Amino acid sequence: MRDGSARGSETLWALLLSALLSVPALASGSPARAQERLSIVTTTNDLRSLAEAVGGERVAVTALVPPGLDPEEYQPRPQDLTRVRQARAVVRVGLDFDLWLDRLLAQVGASVRRGADGYVDASLGIATLDVRGMSIGDGHGHGSGNPHYWLDPRNAEIITANILAALVGIDPESTAIYEANRAAFLARLEPKLKEWEDRLAALRGVPLVAYHNSWPYFARRFRLEFIGTVEPKPGVPPSPAHLASLIGTMNARAARIIVRQPHEPEKDVAFVAKRTGSVVAVLASSVAALPGAIDYLSLFDSNVAALRAAAGVR
Amino acid sequence: MTGAMTDSLALLWPALLVAFCLVGIHTCFGIEVLRRKVIFVDLALAQIAALGATAAFLLGHPVQSAAAYGYSLAFTLFAAVLLAFTRSWSARIPQEALIGVIYVVAAAAAILLIDRAPQGAEHLKQILTGNILTTGVDELVLIAPLYLAIAAGHWMLRRWLTQGTSLVSEFVFYATFGIVVTSSVALAGVLLVFSFLIIPAAIGVLYADTLARQLAIGWIAGTLTSAAGLAASFMFDLPTGATMVCAFGGALAIAGVAYPFLRGDARLATQRAVMASRWCLALVLAGSALLLIVAPRADQPLLDAAEYALPGLRAGYLSRAELATYQDARAYAERHRVEAERLSAIETRSRSQGDALDDTTVQRISSFLKSYGEMRRGEEFVMREVRARARERVRWIIAAGMLALALVVVPGAASLLRLGRRAGRRNANWH
Repeated sequence: MRDGSARGSETLWALLLSALLSVPALASGSPARAQERLSIVTTTNDLRSLAEAVGGERVAVTALVPPGLDPEEYQPRPQDLTRVRQARAVVRVGLDFDLWLDRLLAQVGASVRRGADGYVDASLGIATLDVRGMSIGDGHGHGSGNPHYWLDPRNAEIITANILAALVGIDPESTAIYEANRAAFLARLEPKLKEWEDRLAALRGVPLVAYHNSWPYFARRFRLEFIGTVEPKPGVPPSPAHLASLIGTMNARAARIIVRQPHEPEKDVAFVAKRTGSVVAVLASSVAALPGAIDYLSLFDSNVAALRAAAGVR
Repeated sequence: MTGAMTDSLALLWPALLVAFCLVGIHTCFGIEVLRRKVIFVDLALAQIAALGATAAFLLGHPVQSAAAYGYSLAFTLFAAVLLAFTRSWSARIPQEALIGVIYVVAAAAAILLIDRAPQGAEHLKQILTGNILTTGVDELVLIAPLYLAIAAGHWMLRRWLTQGTSLVSEFVFYATFGIVVTSSVALAGVLLVFSFLIIPAAIGVLYADTLARQLAIGWIAGTLTSAAGLAASFMFDLPTGATMVCAFGGALAIAGVAYPFLRGDARLATQRAVMASRWCLALVLAGSALLLIVAPRADQPLLDAAEYALPGLRAGYLSRAELATYQDARAYAERHRVEAERLSAIETRSRSQGDALDDTTVQRISSFLKSYGEMRRGEEFVMREVRARARERVRWIIAAGMLALALVVVPGAASLLRLGRRAGRRNANWH
């Protein structure tokens, strides 16, 4: 009897102890729970940042494309196979931007496939621009529309809604957390959007030129006018007539700002800039492509600042 | 002359100067490269230089800094040492094999290094993909004296460099070559520099025996071809580097075809050329006839080309109703294209001017654009289908016509016919 009560009190102590231990553990985001984090794979760092905003502490997000590389030309690495196989959710840009993901998913026989709960095509519901049904003519070569839609911060609402739907599908118990996270993110985005619009108001009516047609969504949101691109088609160097007409248009319209991304050829842009007396603004079209752009919001902070500096607005 | 034209010409003349300068130095090296049979050495050296720049970048030096150039140079000189040593192996292993190995290992090592330093790694591509159109005269001013000095040194030391077998002379050759190639590739890109190196030199070597004459012919061919390539790029609105490379390919082809006429028995060469072209024509005709019979719905390159050149030919085999359908579909396809362009222009304008369009309107425009694209594709399908059916219907007649033409064209057919007739007559006499 005595033995039995001793054993009983030991059990009680153990229960108490574990309860005591688990209280701070729960409060501090818990190493025990950290292991249960849902692993999510995104193709780009922009989607990683947005998935982290929705998933918060409940998820561990990995972007497959390392910072600064061109996501359209990415070649998957061996470890990507493991990452995709273990992922509970896969978030992609869609619109033919990250086509290499299809092969990767097929190759690993991933549980997450088109139509599955964890499969997110973030472009679902986006109002696409530059749709060229036959990918003939100027502009971006994508038949299903220009894929750089995350560069309109207003589209983050749709993208995060798509991510939210997938997270709720695979982890319904945490629905409230995800919804709260997304609401908090959008609440932070809203004043920022206003701030960027105000700061870029100084560039309305200022003609801009880009190296590659990556900016239609950005231009639409902030009412910026891009009057031409240095590269007539993706991956094709400009012809003399194209360069001459671009320089002619730039001079006629007094365009003095050329937008280039860090991975685009410096030489061709510098050539046009020199001939037209223009300033080159280096803008990141993706999170982590420039040191200042560490997440989705700072991506726009950094781009807005670069454009204002190029336009000479303090 | 219109303003746009003068603007384009103003862009072209620095490129022409750069091309002349590169043809000048690369023809000299090209003749020696051909003699040594190390054709792809320039690719290997350029790749090694890019590897050096990548290493510099990884160590924290900016892309176009003196340090990056220093690393490139050091790596190139190291490769020159390797190449100088491997000359002595070439009795057992062709040196091209080792050059290939240097190339692939340097390229692969650069990929591994880039993987460690992804930020801005795409800058490094630029080392290998210069664009002659956007090369300014100021860059030329920097390298022209260097090239002149190297060319002068080579001319003075030409005996020692070409006949010497010492390690030092080998090293000097590859080191100077490496410096030139690395600078040129950054200006004009790998493809164009390879053409500058090999093609004028090959034309020179084809037509002359002494070094001075080979150089003169190479220079003339190279400058003329460069000018022609630039002119074509201007006239047909094409990317400059790629157009020039194709122009150089064409120049070599012309030089090769002209060789037997200029350097052999011209009459014999003409006979052979006529014979060969008749055979080719006959084979193309017979092949096309066969293709039309076997697969009338497949692409018919010969018929397609003929119709493209003479659209009136279509009326010859399409019935009146088919022709009407065809032209109708074409008109609709064009209308859909114009309408899509108009909508697209409205949307683009609305981004910065007038009232902004809301998301719903943009979405509607996008779906209209998609529909126009689909409808256009549909009309083009109709055009293809009408043509395919008509071709299927008349395939025996057209194929028979083409085969008959092939028989007329093929050499020896006439004499065969004559023989046949004579044999027939003899048979008749015998009976």
